[in-house]
Amino acid sequence: MKIGLEVHVALPTRSKLFCSCSTADADQPNTNVCPTCMGLPGSKPYLNGEAVRIAKSVCIALGCVVNGSISFVRKTYFYPDLPKSYQITQIDGAIGRDGKIKLENTEIRIRRVQIEEDPAKLIREDRYSLIDFNRSGTPLVEIVTEPDIKSEKELKEFLYVLWSILYYLGVDIDKEIKTDLNISLGSNRVEVKNVTGIKNLLDAAAYEASRQASLLSRGNEPVKETRRYDERSQRTEPSREKESEEEYGYIYETDLEDYDTSKIKTGDIEADVRKTAKSIASRNGLDYDTIMQLVAFDRHSLSLLNHGLNSTAYDPSTILNVVEAGKRFRSSVNEKSFSLIAEYIKAGVQIDKEIMERIRKGLKPDYKTPDKLKIREFISKELENDPDILKRYRKNPKVIDFIVDTVSRKYGLPQKSVAEEAKKILTGEDD
Amino acid sequence: MSSLRDFSKKKKPEDYYVNLIQELERINGRLHAFNEISHDVDRGFPISVKDNICVDGMEATASSRMLKGYKPPFDATVVQKLKDAGFSVLGKTNMDEFGFGSFGINCISPARNPFDEERVAGGSSSGAAVAASIMKYHLAIAESTGGSISAPACFCGVVGFTPTYGVISRYGLIDYANSLDKIGFIARSSEDISDVFKLSVGKDGFDSTCADFKPLKKEKDRLVIINQLYERLDKGIKASFDRSVRRLSAKGFKIGYEDVNEIGYAVPAYYIVSMAEASTNLAKYTGFKYGEQLTDFSMDYNSFFSASRNVFGEEAKRKIVLGSFIRSASVRSMYYEKALKVRRLIINRLKEILDGSFIISPSMPVLAPKIEEARAFTPVQNYSMDVLTIPPNLCGFPSISLPSDYVGGLPTGMQIIGDHMEDLSILSFGKEWEKDFIYRFKYNIGEI
Repeated sequence: MKIGLEVHVALPTRSKLFCSCSTADADQPNTNVCPTCMGLPGSKPYLNGEAVRIAKSVCIALGCVVNGSISFVRKTYFYPDLPKSYQITQIDGAIGRDGKIKLENTEIRIRRVQIEEDPAKLIREDRYSLIDFNRSGTPLVEIVTEPDIKSEKELKEFLYVLWSILYYLGVDIDKEIKTDLNISLGSNRVEVKNVTGIKNLLDAAAYEASRQASLLSRGNEPVKETRRYDERSQRTEPSREKESEEEYGYIYETDLEDYDTSKIKTGDIEADVRKTAKSIASRNGLDYDTIMQLVAFDRHSLSLLNHGLNSTAYDPSTILNVVEAGKRFRSSVNEKSFSLIAEYIKAGVQIDKEIMERIRKGLKPDYKTPDKLKIREFISKELENDPDILKRYRKNPKVIDFIVDTVSRKYGLPQKSVAEEAKKILTGEDD
Repeated sequence: MSSLRDFSKKKKPEDYYVNLIQELERINGRLHAFNEISHDVDRGFPISVKDNICVDGMEATASSRMLKGYKPPFDATVVQKLKDAGFSVLGKTNMDEFGFGSFGINCISPARNPFDEERVAGGSSSGAAVAASIMKYHLAIAESTGGSISAPACFCGVVGFTPTYGVISRYGLIDYANSLDKIGFIARSSEDISDVFKLSVGKDGFDSTCADFKPLKKEKDRLVIINQLYERLDKGIKASFDRSVRRLSAKGFKIGYEDVNEIGYAVPAYYIVSMAEASTNLAKYTGFKYGEQLTDFSMDYNSFFSASRNVFGEEAKRKIVLGSFIRSASVRSMYYEKALKVRRLIINRLKEILDGSFIISPSMPVLAPKIEEARAFTPVQNYSMDVLTIPPNLCGFPSISLPSDYVGGLPTGMQIIGDHMEDLSILSFGKEWEKDFIYRFKYNIGEI
């Protein structure tokens, strides 16, 4: 099996690729628009440098050669969602080329990374279609791989790693991802165009793999064609689209000057995710796979690990728990908050919203010198709100758990100490 | 004195603008210089804007049925700058559809030459040249891709100035060929243009190809004639041009002759690049967003888009067909990429000459033909009319067309080409020329 992908993802910029319109979701259609992203006669594109900067980071993270000077082309085709009837994209002057993504047992080569604009959105109604230009001009990167993926398992692994890298760079998976899937079991290439989302991509690949395998087993070579994936039936079917590269008639986009990328500062986020994961693993005795699993689909986690583990060594289970907590609460990420989370976990405190609030304020847990009187004071305060509790406790000692939970959470106290004191109070025991 | 200063100093009667507009409308009925005349003008120096340049709230049709009713919600940068400087937009001027033509006849009602109304005004900025030729106080914002300022300026006996590519923002210009389009001016004197040019330049956040204007100042007293172009002139034009050269020689300029073997490839390279770009620019007109609206929505997308293309005129269709062919993958390296290389070669060769000289030639190889004659030209005959104006346009060099002679009552023009950023130098050359060569006009609408 040979699989190659063209993956399109939106870049997290505040304004569009060629105008200053907002990329934020708007309540009303056709409100984040201007002459340029509507393609009105007389308008011109003006390149958003921030999009180029993020795209450069993506290229570096994917091990690509970054072109010092980039240029754009016009890809001409007719479709109602394409306001100028050409898309501004890149080929030869693309920002990145010749990269690779390392998987466990193999390597997937990246042929090209290019910057391009998203078309508008077509909203299909029963008897007509509507066009919303809010999306028109959103910056995308298209990542084109060589046909190096050899199994569905590798495809999954590739996506896992790719998305963890992109996430780390702030490229958000929540935005729509569109992929053109090239897949062939025989000698002819089948292209499944415009598959939206990761799940659909995996399903489309699985369907194609079995479809082509069954054709081949009957001695039939699958034909070279473009297909589309139907989400509802989870099948691919021949597409009526017939554009070939020939018909796109690429020429230079001379409304845009060549853009010098050599001076763009990409900051420290360009650190390779895999390298980071590896170094975290070696520093702390966790295995690499565990780290990759932790950070995949979640740049916060990698960032948390990377920033949290600079100097101190933690035991692996604490690290896992800290990342788990960080994941749940999207906490602010730095060395201090990492060590605080670790401290709370060590103290046996359940990490929740209130604890995260304490951590954000830089408050340490009070467990260090567990002042028993103080703990009892807290518990008594809590009991005042619930005068019937003693009665209930006699019937069911488990009632205490709720009090313990509340108090330890509220004041960042170890559950064990709170439980001891609470028991003493409720049973009337005293020191 | 520049007519801009003259105009501001003169005391104008209260009904000056009302009369100006009335008189203009009367004559426009015959000459078709304007597609639209504004009735809101009551102050400021009157300027006109070629109909492929956007003026907020005024129709911008580029003389195409395709854009009937398109009212852009914004001003072109150059229009904005001149409005801010106190100029008033009197109207939108006629042109060849989308700028495709050298005679101004590729449109619904061709503009007519004020010197002989049977003859063409030249194109594609036909209306701009006529407007400058018939009004005493006027400046026309025009645009040139391959000679669309020099050609009509020459035929209508006015000054046409095409600046260095990229010093005036193209924001608000309805594109013909983006790497070639330049906004420039047509007026009655180099001095008027010089004043307005300085107000119009400057980097623009809305056009990334627009650069700061950094004038190149070199003393030059040598004028070069390119042998290969001189040889192709017809007799009458050659004789008239020789007279102008003698005048210049008498003024102290040194005249030189140089071979530029590559120059013969300029016209084909120009048409390949411009058609390739034009065919993509025309793709956006699909008959359902602005301008001409198709009403039959029962077709599938492909049929709908095909139907929308019918609204274009013949030359626009020719550019779509040829341009799309040129861009197709199987021939791109044969035509498009080769043309880009040729363009580079010609730029390098001409820059060598322009290092110490200006290049001069007639502006057009013929006198203004009769409208009927021009209509009978084949496409290749049409394209070859641009042989003198294409070299500077292809290379992005600034050029100016100055009225240089009158042959049988028709004006001829002389074109001076400078190096990139020598815009002010060739405008100074024009001012020098105008010191002792008096231009003639048939009309003086708005005279005070």
